[in-house]
Amino acid sequence: MNWETIFNTSLVYATFRSATPIIYAALCAAITQKADILNIGTEGIMLTGAFFAVAVSFLTHSWILGVVVAMAAGLVISMIMAVGHIRFKADICAIGMGINLFAIAITKFLLNSVLGKRGTFSDPGIVPIPRVHIKAFDSIAVLNTLFNNWAVTEWLVIVLIIVIWFVFYKTKWGLHLRAVGQFPMAAQTAGINVTAIKYEAIAISGLIGGLAGAHLSLGYSALFTENMTNSRGFMGVAAMFFGNADPVWTSVGCLVFGFADSVGNRLQAHGWPSQIVLLMPYAVTIAVLAVSMASKIYADRRKKSSLLSAAA
Amino acid sequence: MNKNLNSVVISMRRILFTMLLALLIGAVCILCIKQNPLEAYAALVRGAFNGKLRIGNTLASFTPLLLTSCAFVIAAKAGAFNVGVEGEVFLGGIAAAYIGINWTFLPAPLLMAACFAGAMLVGALWAFIPGALKAYFNVSEVCVTILMNSVAVYITSYLVNGPMSAGVANSQSKPVNVTLPQFMIPSSANVGLFIAVAVVVFVIFMLYRMRFGYKIRVVGTNPQFAEYAGINPKKVFIQSMMVSGAIGGLAGCIEILGVHGYFLDNFAYNLGTNGMLAALIVKSNIVFTPVVAFFLAILHSGAMGMQQATGVPKSIVDTISAIFIIFATMETLFQPKAGHVLKFFTSKRTSKREAVK
Repeated sequence: MNWETIFNTSLVYATFRSATPIIYAALCAAITQKADILNIGTEGIMLTGAFFAVAVSFLTHSWILGVVVAMAAGLVISMIMAVGHIRFKADICAIGMGINLFAIAITKFLLNSVLGKRGTFSDPGIVPIPRVHIKAFDSIAVLNTLFNNWAVTEWLVIVLIIVIWFVFYKTKWGLHLRAVGQFPMAAQTAGINVTAIKYEAIAISGLIGGLAGAHLSLGYSALFTENMTNSRGFMGVAAMFFGNADPVWTSVGCLVFGFADSVGNRLQAHGWPSQIVLLMPYAVTIAVLAVSMASKIYADRRKKSSLLSAAA
Repeated sequence: MNKNLNSVVISMRRILFTMLLALLIGAVCILCIKQNPLEAYAALVRGAFNGKLRIGNTLASFTPLLLTSCAFVIAAKAGAFNVGVEGEVFLGGIAAAYIGINWTFLPAPLLMAACFAGAMLVGALWAFIPGALKAYFNVSEVCVTILMNSVAVYITSYLVNGPMSAGVANSQSKPVNVTLPQFMIPSSANVGLFIAVAVVVFVIFMLYRMRFGYKIRVVGTNPQFAEYAGINPKKVFIQSMMVSGAIGGLAGCIEILGVHGYFLDNFAYNLGTNGMLAALIVKSNIVFTPVVAFFLAILHSGAMGMQQATGVPKSIVDTISAIFIIFATMETLFQPKAGHVLKFFTSKRTSKREAVK
């Protein structure tokens, strides 16, 4: 086996490329997690976004409209979840799974009935999200492989990570959000409208989830397939657990999964069975999640025991 | 007793309202694609019940749902959200197929027993992983089980395309050497149905009349109390996950030995998920779960007939069941008194009044 064909500079971009949809999904999950709502519906929000992005881009030939409608669709789906959970006291896991199943079913239904296709919809009429080509990098080989031809949404995700980090830790709303997540009663006593904050968190999460889907179907690829998210939303949730809902660490977790994915793709060229390659990112996700949670518990225990020994 | 009966009536009414609402929204979807919803629903019922073949197939699709929903309920009673039943069905199926094909040195009854035992063991071991991760490291079992489903599907797909392939165009294994007897031929109904019913009856008995079931319910309701009462909640949690996994594996085994006779790639698509749906709709009430499972079985086995008879794609069925579950999970929707949907529209006023109180 030739290692250089697997581990080279283009692997860096390949990793980032496969990680980006997961990063969006993870950010979608992270926002609600800060308000102590486990967003199991990430997958469904994302899938709905993916469908509407492709459908609108195909019908209007405008990727911007596609992205906007995808975000709106994500918002609508997330609002169903918000109303169900907050107003009608639905268990968040149950309604989240309901949302996921609904998204799979309704996108399939719309694909069959509106677009008249089964399985996959790809058409030259779908306008993908454009890629940014920087002429100055052409002559420098390393920069060319690393930074050229990123989709707009791939640049955007970096901005989004920073923005969300800023919102979480440097703004009043972020403080309120975290207060609601950690101790809603105290937050209410301090005059924060807990319900409103929760609705806002889910709404923003829906917008980002829609964007995640739009990126997946229009930026990462230019087609829609039934259930095309393929558990990426759940990988995002796993990454969110890994990073403790911190946007930066969450994204690092996504990069690990993206790395497993892109290394797997290269191994396939070396004769590895495709199924083994395909299951790798899932297995890696589970392993990483287990190790990170275990080490977190271990660290907590050590912290506690050091406090006790200090008191004694 | 009277109070009990009352709560049964209330929850029945809730389920009924939700079901009607879901069918109504489904009808609106059908109207949107310019088809007649009544015709579509009639075709659906015909597709599920018209003739021996169709009734038999409805029963055959009811069998795995009965088991997978029951598997979900057991885990739910211990406080786990086991989405992994899907994967357990797949792995149970492949284990049963492997034993059924290769262990020919056993006489037929023993071989059958070995298939069941193998499937249940594999399912239980698979469910042990998320159970243990949750109990000891507090890793979200929802997340892990969903991801493990993908892993399970790919593992079986690899096996059936590689080492266990029959070498034909379809990705399937060689036929197994022992099968469950079928009835209502040519449909795929088989005695697995009676096994499934027996399992569900046993599970109800176990949950409400046996010590282990009591432990499960205590751990699910209040783990701290369980610990105080001398029950090890972690152990019981893992055990309930394993029982859940074993039943999932059993479902896979019945599908292989009773319906297909060989392992077919992706054979159990959505069986676990639909079982989970059935359980979630009635909030893991084990007595109502089979009823909902039957309703879903009708929807799914009638869907193909509907698609052929009318122009409505069968994915409408999944849409309806998803809407069903979304509304069913909303606890305070369709509440007996004063509740109703109207409350939603006047929410601001009522919440203000509540605040004044």
